[in-house]
Amino acid sequence: MASRNGVDRRDDDEVCPVCKSSRYLNPNMRFLINPECYHKMCESCVDRIFSSGPSSCPVAGCRKTLRKNRFRAQTFEDIGVEREVDIRRRVMHILNRREDEFDSKRNYDDFLEQREEIIANLVSRIDVAKTEAQLQAYASENMDSIRANQALEEEEASTFQARVTKEQEEARQRRQAERDRLDAERREMQAGREDFLSRLASGSSADAGKIAREGHKVLLKKSSARRSEEDRIRQKQAALRGSETKRTGTTLSSVEKSGDSGLIKGLRKIKTPEPEKPYDPFMGYVPEKRDYYTLKQSYPSGYLDRIRNDPQAQAGGYDLREYYSRTLLEAFAGLGVFVEEEVTRRDVSQAAATEGAAVAVEE
Amino acid sequence: MAASPFASRSPSMTVASPNTLRLRAGVTDWPPRPAFTSKPLAKADQELTEQLNEDVRQKYVKDKKLGEGTYAVVFLGYLRNDPASKVAIKKIKVNAEYKDGLTMDAIREVKYLQELSHPNVIALHDVFSSKDQNLNLVLEFLPRGDLEMLIKDSDIQYGLADIKAWMGMLARGVWFCHENFVLHRDIKPNNLLIASDGEVKLADFGLARSFADPYLNMTHQVITRWYRPPELLYGRDNTPVPWTYDQISKICDAFGTPTEANWPGVSKLPNYIPTDPASIVPLQGREFFYRQFPTAGPVGADLLMAMCSLDPRNRITAVEALRHHWWTIDPRPTRNEDLPQKQKSGAKKMGDDLSRRGGQIDDGPFKNAARQLDFGAMK
Repeated sequence: MASRNGVDRRDDDEVCPVCKSSRYLNPNMRFLINPECYHKMCESCVDRIFSSGPSSCPVAGCRKTLRKNRFRAQTFEDIGVEREVDIRRRVMHILNRREDEFDSKRNYDDFLEQREEIIANLVSRIDVAKTEAQLQAYASENMDSIRANQALEEEEASTFQARVTKEQEEARQRRQAERDRLDAERREMQAGREDFLSRLASGSSADAGKIAREGHKVLLKKSSARRSEEDRIRQKQAALRGSETKRTGTTLSSVEKSGDSGLIKGLRKIKTPEPEKPYDPFMGYVPEKRDYYTLKQSYPSGYLDRIRNDPQAQAGGYDLREYYSRTLLEAFAGLGVFVEEEVTRRDVSQAAATEGAAVAVEE
Repeated sequence: MAASPFASRSPSMTVASPNTLRLRAGVTDWPPRPAFTSKPLAKADQELTEQLNEDVRQKYVKDKKLGEGTYAVVFLGYLRNDPASKVAIKKIKVNAEYKDGLTMDAIREVKYLQELSHPNVIALHDVFSSKDQNLNLVLEFLPRGDLEMLIKDSDIQYGLADIKAWMGMLARGVWFCHENFVLHRDIKPNNLLIASDGEVKLADFGLARSFADPYLNMTHQVITRWYRPPELLYGRDNTPVPWTYDQISKICDAFGTPTEANWPGVSKLPNYIPTDPASIVPLQGREFFYRQFPTAGPVGADLLMAMCSLDPRNRITAVEALRHHWWTIDPRPTRNEDLPQKQKSGAKKMGDDLSRRGGQIDDGPFKNAARQLDFGAMK
């Protein structure tokens, strides 16, 4: 619609550079551009030239191949601005890192500067091929993160929109409520006054003062009751609003995955959660680890024969294997422990750790 | 709190504090002293131990009382140089029963806790004696109550994954004790405390002892009676207590009657009570456990059956239980931080649990009522 207006504002003597027809003869003429080369031409020219498929730009000297579906109305009068806005939109679409993805503000600012530089390069046609290649490489490597950030942006935009409409709706309701309240108050006042007048008319003159006082009191009471009721409702609504914002506040989540293109520096290292290891019932401890021997099922021993043949001990659950295991462990427990080495190692580390204390000892 | 916030876990390491270092250095660096008699040496030794004890004592500050029982008082405490740290200081009441010396419970507790260092066993940080010769155990502070609290609270919803996680931690704690030849002998929900990170820890080693040598008979009068296995109930006591029979009949009704067929030699046990052949309940199979505990699933029922076997020789050990494939099938045990927990502070509960004497339950019907005279009995 805006573009329509834009067209309408243009001079009447505008002329299509391709077919030379002017607005004077054809007041409904619309001009279209193609972001490939930004050459302007009228709608009928686009239909005529590109309806049968892609073709080269009819402007002399321009060899760009154009397609009909890319033609669109111009937004800005200045074609340079139009082009810059397009480029900017495209680059921002790809380089859509967010501030919270960087480990410092400085790195985020560097990123913003780099993005502006790329845009400027593309706009002013410096190193276009190289910059484009960089952009493409980055886009293909960081597909997921780009998409995630786009989704986030859309979500933010939609929640913002929702909030705006909600606020507008609330404001409208508040206005309506206030209006209703005023109406009701006025009506009541009126009714009260009428009632008061009618009572005055029917009653004797002595009662006049009393009736007037009563009527006033009733009005006051009514209005104060109404006010407290309104306060109550308002508090309830405020509480409701508070809980709602609390709930919506936590929905934002960031789903990110890093692709290391090297184009952007200083991105926060994102820890991809390690795949959960299978549950280890021993939690890393190794059961029955014995360095110097293997436990046998049974050992011949005259000392133990009696208990082996004692049905009472057996039925009671006394297990000789536990005895074997313990005796052997105790017999071998000291092997592999070199107290002197451990002591020297401990002394060295302690001396280093408590040098200050040692100085205090010297005095 | 897998890693203790303190430099030392075992009391024997406390020698490393700078104060004692200076002291030791002072002793060794002294110029050759004149040949001293044994008397000053004994005095110096005594002073050294006192000094060491004093150093440990000064490391902690006692805060408010968490609980008091017949056996001990439990205080909340913290490190003097780190007020954010929290410990529980269990002050053993001296001379409660033992007129001369320490109670067995205290000795056992110190003896075994200082040896065991495992995430599922309560950590003993230090031991010191206070001025009136009271023994103080500095224990890990476990603020989230105990398992009993969770079981009894009907507001808390938990599923198979949570049960698996708790069972796993309990089984690991028990396994670690057995791996180091320590019998806890009083495992019950009261003694399974929960740390702030949700880790379940085995506490109260007042009845613990190490594995017995052959021919050294251990008593069977251990373990809070509800949790006592049948072989201890059939134990060597010649004066059966009334509830022994009651407890046995309960077990028989639930799991089946022990007979020579399913438990060879059971009738040789001294306290064996022969059952009337007419009322013998057949040994329950896996279907029974599956029916009783449908949440556990068929594999879990298998594990339960193996753990509840009447014949102790067939009952699986802690290692075998942990090697059971029930742990690896779905659902995976809940992570500690996601376990259900009670909102109410469990600190008081910890105080109560730690001050209780081993093998006792304190929730009889008249727990807090004053004892009443029974006039009916004196006719």
